[in-house]
Amino acid sequence: MENSTIKEQKSSGLIGWIDARFPFSSFITHHLKEYYAPKNLNFWYVFGAISLLVLVNQIVTGIWLAMYYTPTAKGAFASIEFIMRDVHFGWLIRYMHAVGASAFFVVVYLHMYRALMYGSYKRPRELLWLFGMVIYCIMLGEAFTGYVLPWGQMSYWASQVITSLFGAIPYIGHDITIFLRGDFNVSGVTLHRCFSLHVILFPLIFLALVAFHLVGLHKVGSNNPDGIEIRKDVDEKGVPKDGIPFHPYFTLKDLYWSVIFLIVFAAIIFFNPNFWGYFIEGANSVPANPIVTPAHIAPIWYMTPYYAILRAIPNKLGGAIFMAASIAFLFVLPWLDRSKVKSIRYKGKWSKWMLAIFVISFIGLGWLGLLPVDVWRLWLARLFTVGYFAFFVLMPFYTRWENTKPEPARVKFKKK
Amino acid sequence: MRKSVILIVSVMMLLPWSLAANAAENGVSISLEHISVNLHDTKAIRRGAKLYATYCMACHTMKYLRYNKLAQQEGVLYSKMPIDQKEWTYPTPPPDLTLIANVRGADWLYNYLHSFYQDSKSASGSNNLLVPNSSMPNILQGLQGTQVLVNGHVRGYSKPSFSKPHWFDRLKLESQGSMTPQQYNQATKDLVSFLVYASDPHRIQRQHIGYWVIVFLIILAALLFFLKKEYWRDIK
Repeated sequence: MENSTIKEQKSSGLIGWIDARFPFSSFITHHLKEYYAPKNLNFWYVFGAISLLVLVNQIVTGIWLAMYYTPTAKGAFASIEFIMRDVHFGWLIRYMHAVGASAFFVVVYLHMYRALMYGSYKRPRELLWLFGMVIYCIMLGEAFTGYVLPWGQMSYWASQVITSLFGAIPYIGHDITIFLRGDFNVSGVTLHRCFSLHVILFPLIFLALVAFHLVGLHKVGSNNPDGIEIRKDVDEKGVPKDGIPFHPYFTLKDLYWSVIFLIVFAAIIFFNPNFWGYFIEGANSVPANPIVTPAHIAPIWYMTPYYAILRAIPNKLGGAIFMAASIAFLFVLPWLDRSKVKSIRYKGKWSKWMLAIFVISFIGLGWLGLLPVDVWRLWLARLFTVGYFAFFVLMPFYTRWENTKPEPARVKFKKK
Repeated sequence: MRKSVILIVSVMMLLPWSLAANAAENGVSISLEHISVNLHDTKAIRRGAKLYATYCMACHTMKYLRYNKLAQQEGVLYSKMPIDQKEWTYPTPPPDLTLIANVRGADWLYNYLHSFYQDSKSASGSNNLLVPNSSMPNILQGLQGTQVLVNGHVRGYSKPSFSKPHWFDRLKLESQGSMTPQQYNQATKDLVSFLVYASDPHRIQRQHIGYWVIVFLIILAALLFFLKKEYWRDIK
């Protein structure tokens, strides 16, 4: 280790000057040029890099938005319209940020689905998965506090509904709700603290956790579609036989797919930034009014699966518990999966069916959460809720008892 | 595999059905007549702005268009808007209309402006099909003329019962105003065009830039594709 560090150092020039004082070159070597990733990583593995790109987009556009935004009940709505109309390219920055929020969830949901499919949460990547799950929870908090900031009708009433959920907790619920709101109702005080959390606390934790997520990833290495550990089969230099340097192979691949992502992203920003009301809701174009309750309150699409679960349970506390459980189960996933193999390629029929049911339930719940309730939708939501939880609750049994296929010794890689 | 396809398809089939049920609950009592708004038609937007300044601005503000040149040139001036007016004779104060097209959509606005009819029971003397007991008086009556509600259908309306009638199926023009029906259609379309423009004045500029951004990204993606392919050739 000591020797290799010395070897990697440049002795002359600016880089040499830096290397004598900071491990610049060795960092590049260890984390890019001689960081070996499985060569069979497929399309599903690009979403990690893309989510990093979206994170940068959110931070940069967020900084510029904060230069013009006013976090007061009186000024917030007008300041957004000021950004949209009178700030040079303010509309672009704001649409990049608002569409970016939805894009972030699209990308992260696909990233998580990849982990479910190929068993990326399984040993030795449990902690990596946990960091990822905490990031996801922070993302939900970040998205919620950000959604409040335009201070439209939906901002106001969605925050009213979500903060009131904490009121369902026995004994201390009422006090927690007041603590969160900073007031007896959602008000300008709530708006101001949402701003503080949105631009300081959550991004700070977010960035630290993303760093941990990456450090953890580089410690254990990427999983791959075959779910076998490439580091167990190395050549005489200690390089995994199925591994290829991250740079230039995956930097180029991620760059290419990032640009493909940007094409879709730009198409939405420039041609349909509201995305038919799914990314920016029309109802939020009415300033917040505590006296007028909108006929239909729905959270934004990436939270609707949980909202549908909440509404499917007839009791408020029960609903809140199921909602919390729907996320809590994801945390313990690494310990629910008892399968000998990681990847869905070698798991049995049960795992495949249950994953399909889970995905259909999640999308179904997301769809129902956008719509007002009626009797049929209520029962459909309950059916999907059962599907959602069955995936987790039955997992220790079907993963242990089903017949798995033998894993290959080396990764499968077909040259295109 | 085939089973899962069947399952997915059957779930998909449930979705449009639940969407249709949703539309029925929005409280819309008539079918909306569709209009297409062309934001490239600046003349129409300007005519709409002039109409707005003349007929709407006595009550409705348009706050966020304060620094917009087009609006200013056509008389939609911040100094003339009822910004500070607190007392209104209507039960609900008239809303600001800068973003109304985002909230309602162009079709809704167009149909609303056509759905006023005489109603002696109402305080303002008029009522609206789309918003029953709307507190807005029929301000464009002088242009459109007087419409009355008819029982049954005006134009031999005989659609299946689950399809709701249009405003023109229920309302009859009793006496024409200063405009012919064609002129009134055009005027309200202009007005709606202006409202759509006001809700997002940078739309045309945005789309114009968008084409170039996407062309640039496609070229970049093509270059990166071949670069990646070249590098990955070594991997066996």
